[in-house]
Amino acid sequence: MAESLRAVPAHSTADPGILAAQAQEDLVVGEEIVRFRYYTRMVHWGVALTFFLCLFTGLPIWTPIFGWMAPLFGGLQVCRWLHPWTGIAFSVFALLQFVHWAGEMKRTAADKRFTKLKNFLAYMRWEYHDDEVGKFNGGQKSLFWLSSLAALGLLATGVVLWWPNYFSNPFREASWVLHDVTFVLFFLLVLGHIYLSIAEPGTFAGMVRGTVTKAWARLHHPAWYRDVTGERRR
Amino acid sequence: MAIPGLEVFQSSASLRGTGSALRQLPVVSKLIDTSTCIGCKACEVACQEWNDLPNAKTVQDGSYQTLPTMTADFWNLIKFHEVDVDGSFNWLMRKDQCMHCADPGCLKACPAPGAIVQYSNGIVDVNPDQCIGCRLCETGCPFDVPRFSEKTGKMSKCTLCVDRTSVGLEPACVKACPTGCLHFGTKTNMQAMGNERVKQLKADGYVNAGLYDPAGVGGTGVITVLKHADKPELYGLPRDPKVPKSVRFVKSYLRPLGLLGIGAVVVGLVGHYLRYGPRVPPKGPPPPAPPPVA
Repeated sequence: MAESLRAVPAHSTADPGILAAQAQEDLVVGEEIVRFRYYTRMVHWGVALTFFLCLFTGLPIWTPIFGWMAPLFGGLQVCRWLHPWTGIAFSVFALLQFVHWAGEMKRTAADKRFTKLKNFLAYMRWEYHDDEVGKFNGGQKSLFWLSSLAALGLLATGVVLWWPNYFSNPFREASWVLHDVTFVLFFLLVLGHIYLSIAEPGTFAGMVRGTVTKAWARLHHPAWYRDVTGERRR
Repeated sequence: MAIPGLEVFQSSASLRGTGSALRQLPVVSKLIDTSTCIGCKACEVACQEWNDLPNAKTVQDGSYQTLPTMTADFWNLIKFHEVDVDGSFNWLMRKDQCMHCADPGCLKACPAPGAIVQYSNGIVDVNPDQCIGCRLCETGCPFDVPRFSEKTGKMSKCTLCVDRTSVGLEPACVKACPTGCLHFGTKTNMQAMGNERVKQLKADGYVNAGLYDPAGVGGTGVITVLKHADKPELYGLPRDPKVPKSVRFVKSYLRPLGLLGIGAVVVGLVGHYLRYGPRVPPKGPPPPAPPPVA
């Protein structure tokens, strides 16, 4: 299917980058590189959409300060009814994402250097560069493993909160506390994730359009850039 | 059920109740004297009748108890405890119902604004129209009282007949009790009456008699005279009931801290953007690749 889509007539105005990003990743198309194919992006945005559904149905239950969000869904009672189901949807997408990416997320020596506090702080000052950073840097890999763990924790504690009569009180109490703690920590990670996709232009487009510029790839993921283009180290 | 004219003193998931707290009412109480309870279940029937609750199909579990436990439409259950105390057989009966705590764990735990309220006379009540059926009140209650109705998807429990007591009547169970073991009035009066009865029991040889009004929940609106107050467990009552630490931790510390943390991170990220700006990839052609190593 992808092959036939890419074989467009010469007069077509279809975007070659978009077409190339249907079925394959790590592919050079002119001045762009396909970073995330269609399936990768669908899974990522599935996780993101269901996360925000969980967030907006959960926050008004979390504290009345966010009570104004409840009318978006038809009131607090609807939020309470919806939240477990959006949680199930989130878990399904989180599982798909885990299966899809787990193989690419093994930590390398460069990733271990990246996640040293000193280096990460330097990164946040835009001062850190490591020529060995591959398709994902240490921070992105940490986010992947931590958010997978958070998804598992939120599901496990959420099930107890959803069906409390099957669990004894210590279980319910622990689940309540852990559901809250996990949510707060996970949300802080997600805020950082969203921020960096905005503060590092070209990143967000990579997950929407599927392609990034060569200049972006050289700056953020030099080892991946070399692999994909076959260029030598500079 | 919300009672017009009765001020709400505190309300779930809200900073304040809806009342001005200017109209002060004496805190009311029900006194249960377990030593004169004969287990006739008139109170159970009166409760079902007054509150328009359906007839319950009784469950035979080898005792004289009507049901194994309270249900969403059975709010007042006489529990029968057959126990040996100090070498003699005892038949200890207790009225299981909402205790109307001064510091209600259910209200503390409830995330729905106004779903659980405490009136200025101390009665703790549920507003079904606000209840979202999340069942967190069950976790908050140290007496295992709130019951979730699968039929309505809401919580229910004893209202201390707020619709009767707010117009000067005693609760239905008190009205029906044939032995006079149930009394209703201001908390001060009920405490005095209870302590008087405890004195009598002590004089009769029940040296451990006492009034069950646990301080861990700020005292209760339903106080109980026990012959064996040193062992409330014999009656199925917790020795030192408290709002669970986890509920207090989540509501009083975790949520304010979490909010603060989220706010601080959002402000921090905006500050970071203003200080460091976007990290734009360099424009123009890349530096030439080095010659291949021979």
